[in-house]
Amino acid sequence: MRGPGHCPDATFQFASSLPERLPRDADPVEKIRLAVALRNEWLAAGLSTAPADRSGAEAAACRLYDMAGASPPAFEWAASPLAALAAVQAARSCYPAIETRCLLTGQPWREMPVAARLASLETSLRSRLDTRIGRAAVAWPGSPGADTGIVWMYRPEDAVLSGISDRSIVVVTVGQSLRGTLTDAVAAPLRAALAEAIGKAASGDQLTPAGGVIAFRGQHDASWIGYYDTRRRAGFGGYASADLGELDVWAALARSAGWWWPGEGLCVMAERPVAVHAEPLTGSHHGELRLHRADGPAIAFADGFGASVLHGTPVPEWVLSGPTVDLIRAEPNIEVRRSAIERLGWEAYIRDAGMRLVASCPDPGNPGAELGLYDDTPGTGRGAPGRVLVVTNGTPEPGGHRRRYGINVPGNLDNPVDAAAWTYGLSGELYATLARRT
Amino acid sequence: MLTTLTLADLTARTGLDVLGHLEREVTIPVTGGIQAQGDLLIIPIALLATGTRAWVWRNVSIADTARWHQVPGTGIEVLRGGTGGNPHTLVADPGACRWTTGVHDPEQLALGALSTTGVAYLIHPEHGGSGIAPGTYVIRRQRERSGATRRSSYFPHAANPVQYVVD
Repeated sequence: MRGPGHCPDATFQFASSLPERLPRDADPVEKIRLAVALRNEWLAAGLSTAPADRSGAEAAACRLYDMAGASPPAFEWAASPLAALAAVQAARSCYPAIETRCLLTGQPWREMPVAARLASLETSLRSRLDTRIGRAAVAWPGSPGADTGIVWMYRPEDAVLSGISDRSIVVVTVGQSLRGTLTDAVAAPLRAALAEAIGKAASGDQLTPAGGVIAFRGQHDASWIGYYDTRRRAGFGGYASADLGELDVWAALARSAGWWWPGEGLCVMAERPVAVHAEPLTGSHHGELRLHRADGPAIAFADGFGASVLHGTPVPEWVLSGPTVDLIRAEPNIEVRRSAIERLGWEAYIRDAGMRLVASCPDPGNPGAELGLYDDTPGTGRGAPGRVLVVTNGTPEPGGHRRRYGINVPGNLDNPVDAAAWTYGLSGELYATLARRT
Repeated sequence: MLTTLTLADLTARTGLDVLGHLEREVTIPVTGGIQAQGDLLIIPIALLATGTRAWVWRNVSIADTARWHQVPGTGIEVLRGGTGGNPHTLVADPGACRWTTGVHDPEQLALGALSTTGVAYLIHPEHGGSGIAPGTYVIRRQRERSGATRRSSYFPHAANPVQYVVD
């Protein structure tokens, strides 16, 4: 998936024309159908790689400054969040430190830095919208689907037809799905990559909220804006008209720009990425995506800034270009290690890493194969050391060879069968009765 | 009645194919016990619901709101592979087998449950076929230890994040 956002959610077959909005008493199937379509639209906006709509973004930002009681700022555009932060640093005087106690000491609103006022506007808008939703979404005791957890196991259509309340479904299929993709899977790796890039270059300057530098997430704010907007349009309740107007301003920003940093008299805005590579989550029914690209950065900006991510795991560049046993052993992060070992190949790692064998025994249901339990090479990691269970595939590869690979298991299991059982949530006694493994 | 099928019979009947190097003329074993296909485990549901009294909450159970789907001769994909991955497909004679994803599993590993009155088969291009005797079973995914503090999107409400093994 690359280029302008495209959401491959084939769960629903849509009628050729969807209603623009639905009333609260519309058929739940229709409401969920529209909600899913709107969610996909917002997902596309959140992942868009089109050049920013600069005039639209500036107009929306001016409107927000106005709501915050500040005069319209000058605008500066940057090719990426990294370039934007360089611009912020160069104009440091426009970003005065935020006294975190100011809200408690009753400092007059207009004396707070504009970034703090905008953050406060956002927080109180979301709080008012949540309150409105909370009043509407009373789940009668004992009603089916009062627990949103079970919704994850169904496709949206099946969930409605199973009798789960559409209010519970929309929370999951729109709110949690958008947040899972845009906030957790896209914005978080980007923020980490940005912090690391700054860390290398920074002089110790506090480019943080306390230092007056607050980043607003632009297109990635579609995770909350899209949720409230979809609820309203798909018939899940209304909001006060003033709040609607305010939400629409934030929505205009989400549709037009990347991250942005408001300051006193200056607003620095970043362009959107030029490439985003993502894949659907295995087994997901609600359209969630995560970043993935094996031959380059999964998210990249025009000036070369970006982040490398493999199947949702942010990884340093060496994992993609040249993983070695030594680099892997030195890596403290277990997720990065696993990604790197998969790139290198488990056979090479098992052969060369020198892991210490704790125990081995025949693999239940898998004649001729052994389970091997090894101490994980400690590296410099924190936390209790774990172990690796080396297993053999039940079926051969085309050449006849049976592939071996490792699974990370807790360090407190001493018996390979118990470790194998743990991976399936079973006791060792039950797993030992395994009749056949293919 | 699909009782003594070879892999060749099964691929011909269902239209699903498997990789060329797999043995096609051997009869696919049918069992009512625990069996594994790649990273999936098929478990008779009774073995997962043995807790009584204080331990009842640890039982796996089918949700009251569970919606059952009839498994057609061409099969239901119980787990679609990730990018470039292959699906695990459940097949049976029409009318014999039904599948639901509405399973309550304290370990958060269940993909769903199947209930079959005839022999059902789970097919995967790389792993071939597994025969399932009449009964009710849960299919679980496999997990590994992770350092993730980020919640799995599959169960974002969960207290402990689960890292799934990818086949």
